[in-house]
Amino acid sequence: MKVKIKSWMGVATWRWIANDENCGICRMSFENCCPECSLPGDDCPLVWGACSHCFHMHCIVKWLNSQPNSQQCPMCRQNWKFNIQ
Amino acid sequence: MANMAVSRIKREFKEVIKSEEIVQCSIKIELVNDSWTELRGEIAGPPDTPYEGGKFLLEIKVPETYPFNPPKVRFITKIWHPNISSVTGAICLDILKDNWAAAMTLRTVLLSLQALLAAAEPDDPQDAVVASQYKHNYSLFLMTARHWTNAYAGGPSRFADCDQKIQRLKDMGIDEHKARAVLSMENWDLEKATESLFS
Ligand SMILES: [Zn+2]
Ligand SMILES: [Zn+2]
Ligand SMILES: [Zn+2]
Repeated sequence: MKVKIKSWMGVATWRWIANDENCGICRMSFENCCPECSLPGDDCPLVWGACSHCFHMHCIVKWLNSQPNSQQCPMCRQNWKFNIQ
Repeated sequence: MANMAVSRIKREFKEVIKSEEIVQCSIKIELVNDSWTELRGEIAGPPDTPYEGGKFLLEIKVPETYPFNPPKVRFITKIWHPNISSVTGAICLDILKDNWAAAMTLRTVLLSLQALLAAAEPDDPQDAVVASQYKHNYSLFLMTARHWTNAYAGGPSRFADCDQKIQRLKDMGIDEHKARAVLSMENWDLEKATESLFS
């Protein structure tokens, strides 16, 4: 028997693996991008801190820029360090 | 207003409305205008405090830079508390200043204010007169705070002695709030209050 493929449809899903469901800064779900972006995915990545809290990169960068004197995680107040994975 | 501020406030609003504290009527939040920049909060005075039985209204202004900067919050309802100005309603609370974090929400702010009513910090005062009464004449502070809760926030405790002294000053042509404020500041000493009003 010979099978001829006439058409096919690609179906794929992806999700970020985060400890929480929402970004603690913008409170949007990690399935979505931050409010300043329009498409989730590589353009609006997630980042983790050494404390293991996770945020949209755009959100945490804005937060750190708004804190000239201290660089603390907005969830646990430990000193913020990017956790390079 | 900035995208982030509006979308955050909208989400928080939904969260607060579903929260347990709303169901128990201990905190409340309302919109003042369509632009989401100004909100009205309400907290119930915590039990076993001189604020018990009172409802306290709060003015909440959301800055363009929210949540990277804290909301500006002030008591609209007049209150006698060491960390809240009895004149302007301005609040001295670390999380509304240097200790703000972007992960905090309107709900955590309202709950922190409720906690502040239950545990004053007289060593870090906003109102020096109230703080000094709190430290040096605690029973008088309790009476004054209860009296203000009754007069402005619908609390249950009436003090005939306070009412009489206020009436005496009103009879001299002094406005009721002014009379109450001066008597409170002068530890309910009618003579001293009169002196400070007419000197
Ligand atoms: Zn975010
Ligand atoms: Zn983004
Ligand atoms: Zn953290």
